[in-house]
Amino acid sequence: MALYAVVNVVIVVVLGLIAKAIGKPEEGAGGWNFQYSTRDIVIVAVIAAIAGVVNTGTGNLWYLANSSLGPLGGALLQGAFMWAYVLAMWLVRKPGAALAVGVIETAVEILLGNAAGVGTLGWGISQGIAVEVVMALVNYGKFNLWTAIMAGAAASQFGTLWTAILFGWDPAYARDVWIAVPINLISGAILSGVIGFLLAKAIARTGLVRAAA
Amino acid sequence: MAEGEHSLRYIERDSIMHRLYPLTKLAWVFVVAIGLFLYREPVSGAVMLGVVLLVAVVVARVPLRDVLSSSQLIFGLGILLMIFHFFADPGEPVYRVGPLTITDGGLHEGPIFFFRLSVVVLASFVLIWTTDIRDLMVSLTQAGIPYRYAFAVFLALRFLPLVQREVDAVRAAHAIRGRASRSGLVHRFKLWQRYMFTVLINGLRKAEATATAIECRGFGAYPERTYVKTVEFKPASLILVLIFVLLQAGLIYAERAL
Repeated sequence: MALYAVVNVVIVVVLGLIAKAIGKPEEGAGGWNFQYSTRDIVIVAVIAAIAGVVNTGTGNLWYLANSSLGPLGGALLQGAFMWAYVLAMWLVRKPGAALAVGVIETAVEILLGNAAGVGTLGWGISQGIAVEVVMALVNYGKFNLWTAIMAGAAASQFGTLWTAILFGWDPAYARDVWIAVPINLISGAILSGVIGFLLAKAIARTGLVRAAA
Repeated sequence: MAEGEHSLRYIERDSIMHRLYPLTKLAWVFVVAIGLFLYREPVSGAVMLGVVLLVAVVVARVPLRDVLSSSQLIFGLGILLMIFHFFADPGEPVYRVGPLTITDGGLHEGPIFFFRLSVVVLASFVLIWTTDIRDLMVSLTQAGIPYRYAFAVFLALRFLPLVQREVDAVRAAHAIRGRASRSGLVHRFKLWQRYMFTVLINGLRKAEATATAIECRGFGAYPERTYVKTVEFKPASLILVLIFVLLQAGLIYAERAL
């Protein structure tokens, strides 16, 4: 398990460094600004509530796949949960937005009857931290498609660390955990990175949220 | 999904569990969960399942029928997880089912993970049935979390029924324009995109209006805030946590010693 944890940390950092290497930072965007306005807090709360409702339904499918088919079954849908983390980060553009959505969204899922109970907080925290690490490596200053893809992929893969602990997939003997790594990354890149980015852009076009415009 | 359809919600009752301080109930859930991650024998998980069921039915006075109906999905997934472990874990072969082999390691580990998943979720359910979220938020601020951030959690939960109603309304609006429920997968995905975007836009519109409204009422202007309902910490609430810490320690000691 220790080796798997180290590999996951390395994957997240490498994805962050790739995001750092691709594209230029946007002028005046993001930065290490921890000053959350009331509007930012409410946006985070609303996105978390919506994601909580959507992800509870998706979660039941994922639990079914993960419990009956193991890590490979879970990997197909693993990336479908973090679109809200990317969306919140792209709309609020402040450190901690993804982690906050992760924690609140999973708290909402617990109340809606998530099949892991309080265990689901582990995914909110681990996946939120992965998005924050990728964004920290780009100084919260790049909000392009590639950064979203890297953030989605990192969150998807890092979340499997908690899955392995909770469901008892011991990477020491469960080969599927390692085979699932590329599937997790692709699933997260598309279902969270690309979809989160496209939603943020579509919302920006409406002019409803100023930071993303 | 209308609000009334959710059986998992706070139900006001007069029980010992209801009267406990909300944060100690949250701590209790974590104590139960941590123990389940440390067990090495299935019997410890079985004991804890029995004890948490007793807490739900006797201490929290939740009808057994409600407990069982809410837990069906969880027990079902737990059984699937257990069966997967029967085949996937290493060990000496015990039975063969076609090309698959059930191992002795799997037969030992499978029930451990069944109990881990089932008991953690059941304890979470007890927290939900017996704790008013508003009280939990107040107790979080009493524990030192800035109220602006605790408010974000409360706000998300306040928005929850609105979001559920919004999803219903958007789905109904699409359904009367075509037979959405009988369409193919690609069409369903496109519909999902439309639902999502509509729900998000309406949600964000409400977020903007809410932010303006609460700022007009002075939200965030002062470091402290007042609450309509106060929640008081009573040291007696810690008894539940202490009992479970001792129980967990006893089970883990017995596993290692015997």
